[in-house]
Amino acid sequence: MSVTDPAQTDLGFSDPDPARAGRWSRAQAIAVPVVSVLLAFAIGGVLIWLQGVNPLYAYWVLFQNALGSSEGLLRVMEKSTPLILTGLAVTVGLRTGLFNIGAQGQLLVGAIGAAWAGYNFQLPALIHIPFAIVFGMLCGAAWASIAGALRAYRSVSEVITTIMLNAVAIALVDYLASRPLKEEGQPITRTPLIAETAALPDIGIVPVGFLIALMVAIFFGWFLTRTTQGFRFNTVGMNPSAANYAGIGVRKTIFLAMAVSGALAGMGGAVETLGITGRFEPTFNAGLGFDGITIALLARANPIATIPAALLVGTLRSGAATLQFETGIEPEVVDVILALTLLFVAAPIVSRLLFRKRAQKQTSVSSGWGGA
Amino acid sequence: MDETHLTKGMHMHRKLLAAGIVAAALVLASCSSSGDEAATEATPAASEAAAEETTEEPAEEVVEDQAPSVTMDDSDCAAPENYCVGLVTDTGKVDDKSFNQAAWEGTQLAADQIGAFSKYIETTDPKDYANNIAQFAAKNYDTIVTVGFLMGEATVAAAAEYPNVNFIGVDQFQGEPIPNLAGLVFSEDKAGYAAGYLAGLMTKTNKIGSALGTDTVPPVKLFGEGYKAGALAANPDVEVTLVYHEPNNAFGDPEWGAAESRKQLDQGADIIFAAGGATGNGGLIEIAKDPGAGTTVFCIGVDVDQYGTVPQAAPCLLTSAEKKLVSGTEALVLAAAEGTLPAGNFFGPTGIAPYHDTEDAVPDDVKAKVLEVLAGLEDGSIDTGCPACLDN
Repeated sequence: MSVTDPAQTDLGFSDPDPARAGRWSRAQAIAVPVVSVLLAFAIGGVLIWLQGVNPLYAYWVLFQNALGSSEGLLRVMEKSTPLILTGLAVTVGLRTGLFNIGAQGQLLVGAIGAAWAGYNFQLPALIHIPFAIVFGMLCGAAWASIAGALRAYRSVSEVITTIMLNAVAIALVDYLASRPLKEEGQPITRTPLIAETAALPDIGIVPVGFLIALMVAIFFGWFLTRTTQGFRFNTVGMNPSAANYAGIGVRKTIFLAMAVSGALAGMGGAVETLGITGRFEPTFNAGLGFDGITIALLARANPIATIPAALLVGTLRSGAATLQFETGIEPEVVDVILALTLLFVAAPIVSRLLFRKRAQKQTSVSSGWGGA
Repeated sequence: MDETHLTKGMHMHRKLLAAGIVAAALVLASCSSSGDEAATEATPAASEAAAEETTEEPAEEVVEDQAPSVTMDDSDCAAPENYCVGLVTDTGKVDDKSFNQAAWEGTQLAADQIGAFSKYIETTDPKDYANNIAQFAAKNYDTIVTVGFLMGEATVAAAAEYPNVNFIGVDQFQGEPIPNLAGLVFSEDKAGYAAGYLAGLMTKTNKIGSALGTDTVPPVKLFGEGYKAGALAANPDVEVTLVYHEPNNAFGDPEWGAAESRKQLDQGADIIFAAGGATGNGGLIEIAKDPGAGTTVFCIGVDVDQYGTVPQAAPCLLTSAEKKLVSGTEALVLAAAEGTLPAGNFFGPTGIAPYHDTEDAVPDDVKAKVLEVLAGLEDGSIDTGCPACLDN
């Protein structure tokens, strides 16, 4: 089936006046995350103040380091790159009604897959880089497909399977990096360095991986709203029964969405390996997949919005060390701010405050990923 | 709720949202407990100590340490009269009761003596090693201490990039000596040997065990192999079990340390060597809960005197196979300040920690024999079988 009428994709709103519903949802989609972030910063500011540091100065240090120099900007972009991709991975799942908590595991297998493809071959860069990225994506997709197949054909909750597959992925990549793929002649659990032809370069101060992530985000912004397959994802996410009735292969769509989600997470791992770490080492990728959940919820499952959400997280993470260096505030304050943000976005607290009348009908996240 | 206006799709989303929030909370909880060593350590500590300890916990973090008439801040470290020492922790907190903490204590001791300003950065992501070191270098710090084996390569790279800065790599073995970099290393096998010798003399069941961080990190394996060799030297009939954690999260898994220790106690071992950051600490705390702790069952800690760092382990803690990290770091920071930083590897002192609460449980003749062995290890007359033991 094909979709030409944009109104058809704007699902989930039963307001008699669709235009008004759209405006409301758009206002919410922007206001809720922004207010949530500000609230989190306010509470974080109180914590900083309790440690005897002026919060405004602390935040100035945090952002000045991250955004005030070309090295800082480079680092923010480096930190944000895998986060955009894991955020997109979770987003694609959410839009299809799947909660992919396994982005971390998919990222790990993607990262080690790309490392293997990166060091094991000697190819021209123009072939080697795409090959290593695609190989990492395939690894991530294959890993997610286990959960996808179980969900689609055996109705096993993907929340459970992806969480458990994270643990399996950790053990798997540890095994691979400590035995068959281990760099010889040194004691650390890690793979050899990738070939220079597989390394993602920087263009000026912009990492190529970051540009790739931006393009993928824009692509999925288009894909999810303007293509038949994107429409299938959304429809299955909104209402599988209706999707089935409309002739959409629900199981196939779920399986495919999970594979795409895994491929995106695997791409995050691949780009991290090829652009930043240069090899796979288990501790290098900690938390990137889990940050993807924060980012997808903060972006309210809007692919384009994962970019600013990831940049925010990347900026905070990048500035944390300088915050401690300059003020003595422990870097974990950044995690507190992010956790609070997620809490405010996910729980309908802020949307109730802001949109009291409408909140009864449209809670925060639920209206967010049906909209534009 | 205005149910009539809701489509079925929105019901689906509601449920998904609820599941999402719960799942996200789960993930965040598990994330923070596995990613942050301090948090994993704090959990058993908090549940153990309950109410009575909350009052005596010093709440503030000492980040800056100052002595009178000395360098008061790092605004002008380049000036010849000012001396600044920076420390970059490995992932984990500066109060990790292990390497980070000991290295920081040693740094502070030295800084007090030379009137230096000292400060630390806590690393949260291993990809930030280089950047965290660079923060100090950019401020013209005179000496930078980096903590932990895993930061070795980043430290070597930084030493090459900043030839005018003295670098001290705690627990970092140096292959090719670099003039401005000293690696503080230890003969872990000697400390392990002394602890194992004591265990071999003390065991009643002729079975001793261990819960160790990963054997892919050589110092941990040296501890384990030294422990085994020492125990067999003291008591040829003893059965020594060496169990290592898998490499991932090897030093941040107290639950594994506790379970592994419990299992070996159940299998008849009466002394367990628990070595490996939070993983080992979990084992110590578990063994301390055993009814026989301090009488029939003992635990042995590692790296620093764990009587002070893990007070909950006190009932069972026989001793700790100790790298004298504090004095080793102190010595190197002082040497750097005097311009006599030894390039390459610097072997810090090793030994075993005082017996503390188990003092009375250890017979005097055992104590005397252990002292002899410690002396033999120091003068080199005792061969621990290492580093050749790394190939075992």
